[in-house]
Amino acid sequence: MSTRSIGQEFVKGLWDENPVFRQLLGLCPTLAVTGWVINGLAMGLATSFVLIFSSLVVSSIKKFIPSQVRIASYIVIIATFVTIADRCMAAFFPLISKNLGPYIPLIVVNCIILGRQEAFSSRNSVGRSFIDALGMSSGFVLALLILSSIREVLGVGTFLGLQVMGTWFKPWIIMILPPGAFLTLGILLGIALHIERKTKARK
Amino acid sequence: MSLSARMIIVLTFVGLLSGSFLATVDLLTKERIELNRQREIEEAILQVVPGTHSSQKLYEEKDLTVYGGKDKKGILVGFAIQASGIGFQGKITLMLGTNPSIKKINSLKVIDQKETPGLGAKINDRESFLKFWDNKDCSNLLTLHKPAVKTQEELSHSEINTITGATISSEAVLNLVNSSLNRLRQLEKEGSLSSEEQDVN
Repeated sequence: MSTRSIGQEFVKGLWDENPVFRQLLGLCPTLAVTGWVINGLAMGLATSFVLIFSSLVVSSIKKFIPSQVRIASYIVIIATFVTIADRCMAAFFPLISKNLGPYIPLIVVNCIILGRQEAFSSRNSVGRSFIDALGMSSGFVLALLILSSIREVLGVGTFLGLQVMGTWFKPWIIMILPPGAFLTLGILLGIALHIERKTKARK
Repeated sequence: MSLSARMIIVLTFVGLLSGSFLATVDLLTKERIELNRQREIEEAILQVVPGTHSSQKLYEEKDLTVYGGKDKKGILVGFAIQASGIGFQGKITLMLGTNPSIKKINSLKVIDQKETPGLGAKINDRESFLKFWDNKDCSNLLTLHKPAVKTQEELSHSEINTITGATISSEAVLNLVNSSLNRLRQLEKEGSLSSEEQDVN
């Protein structure tokens, strides 16, 4: 059982237990779709939708699920919401859905989602699970936004498709290619660790 | 209740519930998804065969679909060929518009491609690549002009501009266009381009 306040439950997802920067979870979509801000944002929101609704369902029916079949049940629940997200995006945002391609169905295997069900929603109340999922989702969206902003601005000189760099700027095309994802994530992880060490030393 | 009975009941229940949810979502979105797909094809046809009022699928085989564009009076104004082939990194799908006699390319449109961003992906860029296909005489086999040029005037009538640093992608598009034009001519000679089939609209 958690002893944190509701506020702390939310905030931990943003930094202390940020899924990308602190837990290193969900790195596959983090690396693959953050070449453009719009793709990163869409991926973050789709994952948030799945995480929040799966947490709500899992925490409300946790008493009925025998522990032997819990993983199977969680996966079915998660897959249901992923398919809903996938179909709705294909119907209402066909362009983004085309850009993200197979990465939307692949949310099923995103460790953040199954991880939160196993570590949190299956042991906490519906309310707390909701706040936890909300915090983790915000942390994930935040991480994808930071990564995709850096990559799009440096890689093509635009932000959400709008030109932000002057004509003097020569785009670093490597930033929107796969190596750019590894470079950016590596540097950001280094910075995150550095900040963490500094704050610990102060305490 | 025994544990195995509970396990079976819970899993069945979860599966049933999820299945019915998904069936509902599918029912609600199926039409729209199909509509989006059709609209995309229609828009592409309209772009590559100007003056199209209605379009019909005339022929279909693996990696090649031929549409016929007709004006208000029902006269054929051109063919639109949707063709797929292998590029540098994956499949390239194009929509190519020709005039009814297959002597001239109206324009070329890239529907889908997975080429290298910043290099091969420029096959989808008007300024460096696509504009060179507009109103191109295609009675002879088209060839690539290397190195890359800036304006149409620097090319001979059967030449297409290369993208600097992406010869393979440029060649892939060129070969795809040449082979689909040949196939289209062959189909027309055989009389396979009947307009009996269903309307796209």
